[in-house]
Amino acid sequence: MREQTMSGDVIRLDGVTKSYQAGAPPALAEVSMSVAPGEVVAVMGPSGSGKSTMLNLIAGLDRPTTGTVTVAGRRIDHLSETALAAFRARHVGIIFQFFNLLDDLTVADNVLLPAQLAGASRRQARARADELLTRMGIERLRDAYPARLSGGQRQRVAIARALVNSPELLLADEPTGALDTAAGHEIGRLLRELNTAGQTLVLVTHDPALAQAYAARTVRIVDGRVAEAAVRA
Amino acid sequence: MSWTGAIRTATGGMRRHKVQAVVIGTVLLISTASATLGFALLAAGDAPFQHAFAAQHGADVTVTVNDARAGSAVLAATRGLPGVTAAAGPFQQATVQAEQDGQPFGQLVLAGRASPGGPVDDVVLNAGHWPDGPGQLVLGGSAGDGTQVGSRLTVTGLPGTAVLTVVGFANSITSSADGWVTPAEIGQLRPSGAGAPASSQMLYQFASAGSFTQIRGDAAAVSHALPAGAVTGFSSWLTAEDQSTGNSAIMEPFVVAFALIGLAMAVLIVGNVISGAVVAQYHRIGVLKSLGLSPAQVVVAYLSRVGWPAVAGCLAGVVAGNVLAVPVLHQSSDAYQVGSQQVPLWASLAAPAGMLVLTALAALGPALRAGRLSAAEAIAAGRAPRSGRGYAAHRLAARLRLPRAVGLGLAAPFARPARTVVTLAAVAFGATAVIFAFGLNSSLSRAAASQTQSGTVQVLVEQGGGPVPVNGPGQPPTAAQNAAVTTALAAQAGTAHEVAMYENEVNVPGIAGSVHAEAFGGDSSWTGYGIIAGRWYGAPGEVDVNTAFLNQSGLTVGDVAAVNTGTAQVSVRIVGEVFHPSKQPVLYGSTRTLPGLGTAANLWQYDVGLRPGTSTDGYIQAVNNALGGHSPWAATRQHDGGKFYTIATGLVGLLALMVAVAAGLGVLNTVLMTTRDRVHDLGVFKALGMRPRQLLTMVVCWIAGPAVVAAAIAAPAAVVLNDATLRAMAGTAHTGIPASFTQVFPPGRLALLSLAALAIAVAGALAPASWAARARAATALRAE
Repeated sequence: MREQTMSGDVIRLDGVTKSYQAGAPPALAEVSMSVAPGEVVAVMGPSGSGKSTMLNLIAGLDRPTTGTVTVAGRRIDHLSETALAAFRARHVGIIFQFFNLLDDLTVADNVLLPAQLAGASRRQARARADELLTRMGIERLRDAYPARLSGGQRQRVAIARALVNSPELLLADEPTGALDTAAGHEIGRLLRELNTAGQTLVLVTHDPALAQAYAARTVRIVDGRVAEAAVRA
Repeated sequence: MSWTGAIRTATGGMRRHKVQAVVIGTVLLISTASATLGFALLAAGDAPFQHAFAAQHGADVTVTVNDARAGSAVLAATRGLPGVTAAAGPFQQATVQAEQDGQPFGQLVLAGRASPGGPVDDVVLNAGHWPDGPGQLVLGGSAGDGTQVGSRLTVTGLPGTAVLTVVGFANSITSSADGWVTPAEIGQLRPSGAGAPASSQMLYQFASAGSFTQIRGDAAAVSHALPAGAVTGFSSWLTAEDQSTGNSAIMEPFVVAFALIGLAMAVLIVGNVISGAVVAQYHRIGVLKSLGLSPAQVVVAYLSRVGWPAVAGCLAGVVAGNVLAVPVLHQSSDAYQVGSQQVPLWASLAAPAGMLVLTALAALGPALRAGRLSAAEAIAAGRAPRSGRGYAAHRLAARLRLPRAVGLGLAAPFARPARTVVTLAAVAFGATAVIFAFGLNSSLSRAAASQTQSGTVQVLVEQGGGPVPVNGPGQPPTAAQNAAVTTALAAQAGTAHEVAMYENEVNVPGIAGSVHAEAFGGDSSWTGYGIIAGRWYGAPGEVDVNTAFLNQSGLTVGDVAAVNTGTAQVSVRIVGEVFHPSKQPVLYGSTRTLPGLGTAANLWQYDVGLRPGTSTDGYIQAVNNALGGHSPWAATRQHDGGKFYTIATGLVGLLALMVAVAAGLGVLNTVLMTTRDRVHDLGVFKALGMRPRQLLTMVVCWIAGPAVVAAAIAAPAAVVLNDATLRAMAGTAHTGIPASFTQVFPPGRLALLSLAALAIAVAGALAPASWAARARAATALRAE
């Protein structure tokens, strides 16, 4: 089922609530928001505010208790696990705070993995991976293992991996949270370059400087509710 | 932190890891149950006759006495004879012919006993109750072959009709009778005609009864103490022992083989589970150490952590083992013909104690290591496999043109080589047991077909089917009656082959005692005896013999032997060794080769082979109709001499199933532990778009590679084990074995059976793989 939103938004959340335990306060409560194509939106808030829960729901890693989640023109809140996996592989790239690279795979194999899981041809996948490794400036590290890389290098690998299937949406969960300042700036610059090239980006962070520097719009969440939405001038 | 606090910490941790506690408990339950059963079977197979003989106060000598010559008082006086240590009886006995549902049931020696117990020959009741009223019968052995508690047997040859209802089954270790009725009943079952003297049995234990010579001396002492002609026969415990071991000692090697496989696998699985459980907790250990837990407290805490579920599992396991042993030992005792067998107390103590010691040893190493580790090291060690392991395998798998999920799965075992090797060994043991079971089943089927000739001689024509005695006691059938059999068989369109078989004892220089000779009155090449070496005889002057003959005579196939048939001394050439499991030397030849054997007195039976498509029951009915009711001959089905084989194959199947289940549980544990280790990676895979089916495939492939290696090990191992077990079985049965018995693994079949390793692996991995595949990506990512 493909339900293109009226506005053509890449992401649309309508009245989304997520509860982990009955009786406990919801992690997200009645959240509604949308993200337009090519937009960079920073989702901010203190620890435990519900930022990562929102990102998980947008990525289809979890399901809302109530409400609807529409991403890339498709309602994903009621898809099966198989359909969700296929959806993620094709439409969503995810960058994690702690990289989540697979230690026993080389850099190149880490980057290739989503394409291989999605059933891309070997030649196409390899070409795309080579292109991304070059673009991220880590082509010489293609045969290295993640454990040997610096934090900045690992996050570049993670970004390349997130982009290998050319997703419409890139989700970044505290992408500079585990990096030193210099590496954080490098990653921020890369993300901005990607956005300049048209990549829609949702950035989850509690770093106001990062949000200020790279996001056009900021959504602030407190106690699971959208407390404030601001557009950078 | 106090010691109590440390224990409480461990207990609290256990509550939060219910699955792990359940796995530890379940594995120990299965392992302890297997070990209990294994020990019980080992004990059951250890001199079963001797143990049962001692427990049941078996009779050294059973003497049959003519009541007309010796009354009860005279017999009772023999209790005081020198050398007699215990005696029971006299019990009146009767030899009757019985029918069931109109079909001949055979001859039964019945004894009248008020109760099964006594100072000698303590009969063990296996089912039902002891006769306590008229018309009730307890049969020797156990239910089966259409005879159950409640079955009704008609005693023929008596004035009027006597119907006996089977009210139970019992076992006399020396087979003192085929069945028992009340003392009042036995009088009704004695034929009143002349030539059928009333008789009784006396059961004795002697101070010296260890050899046939001593037995003969003991019997002679009784005979001399009674009026002349009073003793009409006697049987000894040595004969019963020979019958028991000759048939059922064959069981021992494969029971031992399965018991050892089961025990070895239990050791492997328990070691893997426990060390894995401790290693999985390193992270938590690090955290607790950082909070002040001392190294000794760590060791105690984690030993007790695995200890509680282990103790629970062991206790439940020993109960389960005892419960499971009931039907298995029932089968075993049937096969050993020893009445009843129980799980010995030492087995119920040794199995759980051994498993607990094993658990402690398996846990002690990792727990000590955890105690020695610094807090930071423990936290780091608990996170992931040691860096560097399995990288090359992943690199290679990535280059192969395999679906990525398959490649990732196949490379994964290299990250945990020790765990992989242990799991591989468990699967290999399981697969070996399964392949071995199939092979042994085929081998035993061939042995059964060969021994019972069920495939070639479907019908026998024997004496004793009709009213008894027709011709008077000791009188053989007349020539006319024998000719009627030949005519009746020739008249049947279904007769493909028939041959008359004569039996008598002959003497061969070099063999102490007599040799049992079976002589055929015509072409016998179709009868299908299993040939171990050489061939079936074809020309006059040629004979075949069994292994016992060769062993006792020192002759080999090709040698010439002198045979004294009682009427002539002939030289015969041994042209073949025949499969006939017995200590008794046996010789087969033509009546032309063995002069004097082909007489009416020696005519034992007619072997009949049917044409394909002929109804055996219809054929038997037609022959018996043709012979009429007054012939001493009657057609019957081939005897089910294969009961032992039926029991043995059933036991083989059960044991193989248990071993396979334990192996599958070992796989389940390994995959569960690996899934827990890699739960975060699984979340990452899902986040990157790995579909549930791909994840399921990957997890199953974790174990598929080791399973293929296990199959490659198990297949030849099973062939070797089958061969060795069969030879050991044959050795205990005093026979060689035809090559065809061991050639049960053609390459295609072996390859197919090797898939058992994969089946065990997949069956064990499927549940945890499904759990992993169903888990939400976000849940897996959060679970570190």
